[in-house]
Amino acid sequence: MSSPRVGIYGFTGCAGDQLMILNCEDRLIDLFGAVDILSFAMAKSDNKDEELDVAFVEGSISTEEQLEHLKNIRSRAKVLVAIGTCACWGGPQAMKLEEGGFEKRYKGVYGDAKIAVSKALEAQPVDAFVKVELKIPGCPIDKTEFLSAVSKIVAGRHPYFYKFPVCTECKWKENLCILLEGKFCAGPLTKAGCGAVCPSHNIPCVGCWGPTDDLNVGAEYKLLIEKGYSPEEVTRKITKFSGAEVAKLMKGLELKDMEAKK
Amino acid sequence: MMILKMKKEDLSVFLETVKEWGELWGPARKGERVVFQRVDGLSQMDLKATRTIIPPKKFLYPQRFTMFDFDDKGYVERTEHVPNRILFGIHPCDIHGIQVMDELFLEEYRDPYYAERREKTLLLGHSCIPDDKCMCSARDTEFIAEGFDLFFTDLKMFYLVWVGSSRGHDLVRMRPELFNRNIGRDDILNYNEYRKWKKAQVQSGADFTGMPDIFELGYNSPIWDELAEKCLSCGQCTMVCPTCNCFNVVDEVELGTVEGTRDRFWDSCMFREYSLVAGGHNFRDKRVERLKLWYTHKLQAYISEFGEPSCVGCGRCVATCPVDINVVTVTKALREQEVGK
Amino acid sequence: MKRLHVILDDREVDENPYQPDLWRIVRRYPLTSDVNFYQARAVDVDKTLTMDYLPGQFVMGSVLGEGEAPFSISSTPSRPGLLELCVRKMGTLTETLFSLKENQTIGIRGPYGNGFPIDKMEGKDVLIIAGGLGAAPLRSLLLYVLDNRDKFGKLVYLHGARTPGDMLFREEFMQLKEREDLECLLTVDKDDTGSWTERTGVVTSLFDEMGPIDAANTYAAVCGPPVIYKFVIQHLVKLNIPKHQILMTLERRMKCGIGKCGHCAIEYLYTCMDGPVFTYWDVLHMKELIGKGVSDNVIA
Repeated sequence: MSSPRVGIYGFTGCAGDQLMILNCEDRLIDLFGAVDILSFAMAKSDNKDEELDVAFVEGSISTEEQLEHLKNIRSRAKVLVAIGTCACWGGPQAMKLEEGGFEKRYKGVYGDAKIAVSKALEAQPVDAFVKVELKIPGCPIDKTEFLSAVSKIVAGRHPYFYKFPVCTECKWKENLCILLEGKFCAGPLTKAGCGAVCPSHNIPCVGCWGPTDDLNVGAEYKLLIEKGYSPEEVTRKITKFSGAEVAKLMKGLELKDMEAKK
Repeated sequence: MMILKMKKEDLSVFLETVKEWGELWGPARKGERVVFQRVDGLSQMDLKATRTIIPPKKFLYPQRFTMFDFDDKGYVERTEHVPNRILFGIHPCDIHGIQVMDELFLEEYRDPYYAERREKTLLLGHSCIPDDKCMCSARDTEFIAEGFDLFFTDLKMFYLVWVGSSRGHDLVRMRPELFNRNIGRDDILNYNEYRKWKKAQVQSGADFTGMPDIFELGYNSPIWDELAEKCLSCGQCTMVCPTCNCFNVVDEVELGTVEGTRDRFWDSCMFREYSLVAGGHNFRDKRVERLKLWYTHKLQAYISEFGEPSCVGCGRCVATCPVDINVVTVTKALREQEVGK
Repeated sequence: MKRLHVILDDREVDENPYQPDLWRIVRRYPLTSDVNFYQARAVDVDKTLTMDYLPGQFVMGSVLGEGEAPFSISSTPSRPGLLELCVRKMGTLTETLFSLKENQTIGIRGPYGNGFPIDKMEGKDVLIIAGGLGAAPLRSLLLYVLDNRDKFGKLVYLHGARTPGDMLFREEFMQLKEREDLECLLTVDKDDTGSWTERTGVVTSLFDEMGPIDAANTYAAVCGPPVIYKFVIQHLVKLNIPKHQILMTLERRMKCGIGKCGHCAIEYLYTCMDGPVFTYWDVLHMKELIGKGVSDNVIA
């Protein structure tokens, strides 16, 4: 059996996920041995645009040129895997996606300046444009989760990730709940996988792994309001990394809140 | 049951001695938190702390571990080296919790991973100072008659030491001169005072009487929907509960091979995936259905042959839930048909 | 409560109950467009011969690197040597199982669960009602009764499928129609072939077609998609079959099969230990067993 043909691509993001792949250190040789990497611009020259078994795509899509490239990758790949929160959920650059008004925001930043590169789009996750078979979220992705998924794909198996919120991992590490201290924490909304790194250092979860399988946005929202945060602040904080997705779930919440106030 | 007397100041020497048998673990402070961790001796423990974040179940079935290694020739049990461990300072509620787990994991279809760890773990209980979250007296778990190897009741000047097993007795025999059997009239009076004091300390106001019936009557009560609207589905209650045993199992493969491991990790009935079957049907798709299952096990009846509800009144769900859903508030809400603020 | 030192001391077996044995797929073929039939034989031949089970029990089946899930047994213990499973392609595990070829191995452990109460059923009439994939566990019971025909009274087998192409074991059941020692009625919701010789209509329509039964002396066994329980049970109750003699076998998520992982809990029962065969009486006081529609509003 020949090794699976793999391509690794980056769009709008910090390239941290590709860097994390290169940072797999002791496993990197195994990785390069198990798959045939045809394209990985960050790591090698001599990249080929050929048929792929698996394409890993980092970053959100924010220009027409990127969109064309993405469609081209999709057309060549049997399986397309979004890696990192930007590719999976849009990342911080997509936090206002649900609000609309991109043209106005764009103008506010760039004015009438002529942009020589490709026409800009509102940043969106990869699956807003093409079919995505698997999402490996994270900011950046976690080595263990990434290698677990790649190993399964190479072996013809289905990757499995924790579907529960990061609170579970946080409890495994015996941390005190930050919410109980009256402080903001996005843990209950956020998928596990990072090993609860931030709360283990007493830093609240900011939600960088994206939404979990079954989040109760309404309950989290209400809880934070009760703790004294303003609705604007709560909204801003919980939509930071996966704004589009969380904002969808938040629709109607404010209405409910206002009704309650009446 | 053999009950011995020991001078308080001798405890430190005793613990120093029993370290010959195995690693010494106890409740220790880590910043704001109290967790069971390995200690050098008594001075590193905090015996006044009411509860640790996770109960001692973590020693008997770790949060995540490997059950099997496999390759194309089959599955091979992973036997990891489990050290001998002495857990000192376990409170009665947690020993009750371990007894529930013992029954589940050691009786029919003995779980070898649990059994291995259980066998290599000695439980040295210690009396506790209840706080406003403890509900042991409502669950009759404030005292413990069995399930430990030794149990130390602190009576200010000395300890009364219950010897609960042959192995516990072996520890006593390592330093027999520290113990005596001269229990007199004052000791009995002191012990009786201690029992009265302890009962009076438990002030959570929890009342579980008639709960199985109230639970049954209130099964379709809208109270549940109100609770579910608040529930974050974060799963913390299940992780900290001494009688939550649920686990999930996944296979991991090594890169470029069909070899790998079968791993097991703590799961929770609060998660949507918990009752999901292939094809997408979910037997508990709604949060409210998941809440009901947990509280059925804690307050109405655990698994059929155990008969009883499994809550041991440790108060961890009370101390942990960010939105105040716990055995006390749920019991109260069902009883009064109103969700408290 | 049993004391710990006793529990640890009276240990008899040291076997790991989670340990799967390797079984070889000796034959596999499609039963319908999305259901495969598997015959398996333990790599260690002794295991094949010592595999003793009851109709209605299940095994935990593993695909290396993919995981493990419960599968009901379709073969009968009266024909030892091969274990037979019907598998519908429904999720990640079954998808990978479908990719396995003959002579490849799978992990098997079990059997688990209570199975049908064969001892009590002996001497009684048996009415079996299968809908769709429900035929998988019920075939075990059907074949068992046929193989021990003298020990049971009248035997009626009712089976409904969506279309002729969706009917599991169609040829096998068609042949049964020729036997005189059972009544075998087959129906499809819709005949899309034009050549279907049997009935058309939902499975409950077969109740009007079958001969009279001696209700008090009958055990009924039902399995199928959730929707059929409500209607089938209504008919069975109307026929006056005692509630504790109406048997159904249920599906739940399972990770261990032996009462440890918790997933198959139904209130305070475990499907893997207390089931998967339950009676209608269980359903009446266990609200979660089948869900809304069956036990609601039943008083008498």
